[in-house]
Amino acid sequence: MTLRGYRGTDRDLLTGPWLAGELLGLPLPDWPALADPAEVPPPAGHDEELCVTDSAFVRYTEIDWVHRRARLELGVHTPLSEVDDILREAVEHGFTGLNLRRLYGWVTPVTRPATGALTAAGFRREAVVPAATWFDGAPAAREIWGTIRHD
Amino acid sequence: MTELRPLSPAEAAQGLRRAGEAARGFLGTDPVTQNDALLVRELVRREAQVYAAGGALVGCVPNRAQPRQAYVSSTSAGPEPVRALLGHLTTYQRRTSFVALVPEAGAAAFAGAGFARTGVLPGYRYAGHAFHDVLVLVKEEPCRS
Repeated sequence: MTLRGYRGTDRDLLTGPWLAGELLGLPLPDWPALADPAEVPPPAGHDEELCVTDSAFVRYTEIDWVHRRARLELGVHTPLSEVDDILREAVEHGFTGLNLRRLYGWVTPVTRPATGALTAAGFRREAVVPAATWFDGAPAAREIWGTIRHD
Repeated sequence: MTELRPLSPAEAAQGLRRAGEAARGFLGTDPVTQNDALLVRELVRREAQVYAAGGALVGCVPNRAQPRQAYVSSTSAGPEPVRALLGHLTTYQRRTSFVALVPEAGAAAFAGAGFARTGVLPGYRYAGHAFHDVLVLVKEEPCRS
């Protein structure tokens, strides 16, 4: 599996039934039938980078070239088997391709995310922000998970 | 009670420039690495509201995923301007939770205003040839409406 650059024909990959802005956006099992799917915009500006595979997108947003950090967002259409590979590629590209030092993202515990895959990719839970997003009719706490390149 | 005076983005950029070192990291901006035009653009892009409170600047950025939450910043060393900002946001904008991302040195102003620490972001900001940790401070108010 390799990441490739986003093209206009990959537009379908950017929409899916996951929570917006999530570090590991996996399809949520009980997504309401009438709810709009989450969508990320195509990249615009100097602080975003969007890569895709055949069944997922990897988005680096809020890239800060001074502090060398970016927020990572994934949206995966296939079930869990490929997630480890995609995460590893995403971290690899962020650290070596973009020369960033820190990658972080939002994880929402109420969606029961696959934190094992995140830990395997080097992410650690760093902070909790209560009531940081709206989920299932109520404010939900979110965690910040991050990884650092040591060099 | 400290008076809050709303500032336009251009005035806010000038105020941050005058505040110097204390304004680094204010709502994610940095007057040392960004010029005035870029400061104004960043403040507008984040929908930041900046107020002059006494001799200091305080400001907030709404969380777009949860309108009752705001990210707050302050250039003051004492908690009084922060308290004034929180009072304004809870009363007039019905915000119920506040998050501050501050370096270790700036945490006293927020701790004095009732913020509690919920985590540390290692190596989050770069200043003076080194990466520094940033604390995540959170305060929640009961919803009054």
